[in-house]
Amino acid sequence: MENVIVVEQLSKSYGDLVAVKNLSLSVKPGSVFGLLGANGAGKSTTVECILGTKKPDGGSISILDLSPIHDRKTLFEKVGVQFQEAHYQESIQVGELCEVTASLYKNPTDYKNLLEQFGIADKLKAPVKELSGGQKQRLFIVLALIPNPEVVLLDELTTGLDARARRDVWQILNKLKGAGLSIFLTSHFMDEVEVLCDTICILKKGETVFYGTVSEAIKNSPYEKLEDAYLWYSDEEDNKHEDL
Amino acid sequence: MKTFNTMLKTEMKLSLRGMDMLIFAIFMPIIVLVVLGIIYGDRPAFEGASYTFLEQSFGAVVSIAISAGGVMGLPLVISDYRGKKILKRLKVTPAQPVIILLVQITIYGLYALTSLVLLYLIASVFYSFRMQGDILQFLLGWLLVLISMFSIGIMVGGLAKNIKIAGILASLLYFPMLIFSGATLPYEVMPSAMQKVADLLPLTQGIKLLKATSLGLPVENVLPSILVMLVIAGVCSFVSIRFFKWE
Repeated sequence: MENVIVVEQLSKSYGDLVAVKNLSLSVKPGSVFGLLGANGAGKSTTVECILGTKKPDGGSISILDLSPIHDRKTLFEKVGVQFQEAHYQESIQVGELCEVTASLYKNPTDYKNLLEQFGIADKLKAPVKELSGGQKQRLFIVLALIPNPEVVLLDELTTGLDARARRDVWQILNKLKGAGLSIFLTSHFMDEVEVLCDTICILKKGETVFYGTVSEAIKNSPYEKLEDAYLWYSDEEDNKHEDL
Repeated sequence: MKTFNTMLKTEMKLSLRGMDMLIFAIFMPIIVLVVLGIIYGDRPAFEGASYTFLEQSFGAVVSIAISAGGVMGLPLVISDYRGKKILKRLKVTPAQPVIILLVQITIYGLYALTSLVLLYLIASVFYSFRMQGDILQFLLGWLLVLISMFSIGIMVGGLAKNIKIAGILASLLYFPMLIFSGATLPYEVMPSAMQKVADLLPLTQGIKLLKATSLGLPVENVLPSILVMLVIAGVCSFVSIRFFKWE
């Protein structure tokens, strides 16, 4: 397989509002792909179309050569997903959430091992809602890894985490990448993107304004830092001045 | 099956942790039964009746757990899980999202069944209750009322925009039915004008069916009630399946 995720000419509108327009991207096996953009640039819509929870108006999508809509059952045995916000029952405990998640898959990995690796094995009996931000995020990565996936999609993984917790998450992701996992993530944080991503795509109002590696992104802009380059591509600086 | 069993075990634990169904579906019917027992003892339902007042009320009291689960528990849990995007999350797994609905229906069915068994035991042991009618007929009637009430709850939960609206609708359905359909306050002691209004509530018809089958009265008398239950079950199931909102 040449690419684990292939999106071609994806378009999606809500009424008159164009959320994504003619987006194409591909993710190579064992690489980390970052989808960047301001709030409302179309990141979440793209992720939802890739996952098949939203139906694209046009274009084609495949993950591991399978269709997220027609081959849902086969595909999601091999794909781990972590949504932007957590989706769990009010009073559920860590161990219960892991157990139920594992029961959804044919060949799940041992979640106790994962909890151990991620340093939250002692929280097995703790209610999920009582975990700290960093612990929760680590738990959600564990949940995404329970199916023993070939690809994981992580939506705004580190939003709301403190600096230490973010560093911990990066370390974990780099380790996973080293083990051959392909990762698709969305993010607002350029430091994170610089550390993690092999390829990035910057969206602005649903359209691709940059596609390539981090160093190419910097080289093709008048700036030296990714954050400046990103703002230049996505015109966020101009908007800010207008707001003033 | 593995998914269903694991989910059932966990969701049952979560439900028991919440306590409200224990109170509304298990304790409350028992309290109503005991109060009726204290007031009416083993007096006949009316002069010359072949059954006691309590035997007459049994069909009504067993409907309390059905309606607590059906029109209160189910709509709330469905809209809550939709709001928390638990239903949506299941869409990106190999499992069918509908499985969590089946799990919830099973849980509320188990509450209703537990309530039925407990009420039967308590009524038999303490109030010399006897099932006068055919037990199989009674159980079929019970199942029909359960399906009909649950289908209302799934429809409300499936269509309500959010948990707040689901909560309001559930209260609007549950409390009037609990009080005015004869589930708690006996239908027979209501003034006839009130009975006419009560007849409009779906649960009133369900209770008529349960009473007729538990007392061994001719089923022909409650054919309209059976029809009402069937129509409600049919219409609500159709609407739920057709318009259910997963997110």
